[in-house]
Amino acid sequence: MTLSFIHSFQSEWLKKKRSLASLLVIIGGFFTPTIIVVARLIHYDSLPAIYANPAFWNKHWRTSWESVAIFLLPIGVIMATSLITQLEYKNNAWKQVHTTPLSLTTIFFSKLAVIVVMMLQFFVLFNVGIYLSAIIPYLLIPGVQYPTDPIPYLSFITQNGLFFIDCLPIIALQYLLSLKYKNFLVPMGAGFLLWIMALGALVWKYGYTIPYTYVIYNYLADEPVSKAAKPEMDIHLLAIAYFIAITIVSYILYITKKEKG
Amino acid sequence: MIDTNAFSLETNNLTHHFSKGEKVLDSINLKVSQGSIYGFLGPNGAGKTTTLRLVLGLLTKQQGAISFFGLPFQENRVSILKRVGSLIESPSIYGHLTATENLSLLQKIYQCPKERIQQVLTLVGLQLTGNKKASQFSLGMKQRLSIAIALLHNPSLLILDEPTNGLDPNGMVEVRELLKKLNREQGITIIISSHLLAEIERLVSHVGIINKGKLVFQGTLEELNEKQHQSSCVVFDTNNESKTLEIIREHQLKGVIRNGKIVVPLISKDHMAKLNVQLVQSGVSVYEMSVIKNDLETIFMELINN
Repeated sequence: MTLSFIHSFQSEWLKKKRSLASLLVIIGGFFTPTIIVVARLIHYDSLPAIYANPAFWNKHWRTSWESVAIFLLPIGVIMATSLITQLEYKNNAWKQVHTTPLSLTTIFFSKLAVIVVMMLQFFVLFNVGIYLSAIIPYLLIPGVQYPTDPIPYLSFITQNGLFFIDCLPIIALQYLLSLKYKNFLVPMGAGFLLWIMALGALVWKYGYTIPYTYVIYNYLADEPVSKAAKPEMDIHLLAIAYFIAITIVSYILYITKKEKG
Repeated sequence: MIDTNAFSLETNNLTHHFSKGEKVLDSINLKVSQGSIYGFLGPNGAGKTTTLRLVLGLLTKQQGAISFFGLPFQENRVSILKRVGSLIESPSIYGHLTATENLSLLQKIYQCPKERIQQVLTLVGLQLTGNKKASQFSLGMKQRLSIAIALLHNPSLLILDEPTNGLDPNGMVEVRELLKKLNREQGITIIISSHLLAEIERLVSHVGIINKGKLVFQGTLEELNEKQHQSSCVVFDTNNESKTLEIIREHQLKGVIRNGKIVVPLISKDHMAKLNVQLVQSGVSVYEMSVIKNDLETIFMELINN
């Protein structure tokens, strides 16, 4: 089982080569950092003050995460998960996958594992992007000093971990929808709808019941002034619970599907 | 434990309904002997693809039993699929990958030697496709790549659902020759479905004919040929049907009147001559005496039309 899982994972990993989903991860990882670099180069005269700030790294971190947490990460997860899963429908390949000597459990979890690892890949690339977007203006603009405060590694790693946990329910639900529906528009449409719902529900007392809100709540939690409601429960625990519950439902739906290609 | 004497594929009373309750398969009992090339024939919509999807587990089995190499499929799915290569309907190919990459991702699952990739690509004539993405392939090339995929892990049994779809006549001949070679040299059992008997009659050793969800014939090609011989007949057109029938019965032959003519099973030329002499001597005018030899296609059509 373990060995066949590894082989299946390798096979699934190869499938995403040159796919739109893998391109999305790379573009998504460097999109915001690129915008930050361009913006800083345009407003280069304000850079000496920004870089002299004793809390530079924390401010830079929050600036980098702002658009990602609210917009890019949820949308990226919706698109990448749907695209990866839909590769089989698009290429008429489910029947090929289901006639390989792999158990349905192996197929289900190896595909899910590829999506989760792709998300980790996004986090790594985005973090590299965050660092580069801080360093490039310093290297290019004369008179800009290197930030004096040390990089708060531990805080950044914790924040990365929490953001990652918070996007797990989105992965699980998008995976379920993409496995269930042949039409690509169904998981995409449902994903967008849920994200819009999540944005609207941020001020609602029970907004935390919508699993697509967690990434945004996590970002807004550190905002000094925010219109968003403060979740009454630990959203990270809820995210893990949602992920497990949705994955179990998704697995049952998958293995009991009458037509497998 | 694999039973080496067992059928490569056997189904017992395989029955399937789609949601509306209509039976699409009715008690199908396929018996595919090891080392055979089994032609699974039937018109479009007869139930060929449904049968093949069921035996491969792509459709959930409702009634009946399926076993490969003497082992029940349900309980031995993974070990059985290691020995089975398949191509069901249209090609399953990742368009954004090259032919080699398409095979590589399956090589990782089957854990067969990497050299097999080039071997099977050469076998189907796709060794020079290089970095060309599969989405840029013609339908024929995609079909060849699908055959290469089915062959990658050296299966004992190949299940091919209309594998020559989209191939030009030359390509069809090439695929037929390739399958013959694989069967002859490597002993691979092959199940090949088609709606055209003429397309596979020079390839197969066994035939199963399905129509409206029922298996109407199953046997060797010789048995089908025998059926062809049996259905060949001699037609007599005379001015006196009753007298003609009387004389025919004197010769221990069974004659029937069809469209005003008398039809008897095929007899030898000498026998025909004797009958003719006797008819004339009895005052019967013989307008026509002809042999009708049915070809396999006619038998096939008769089987599916009955």
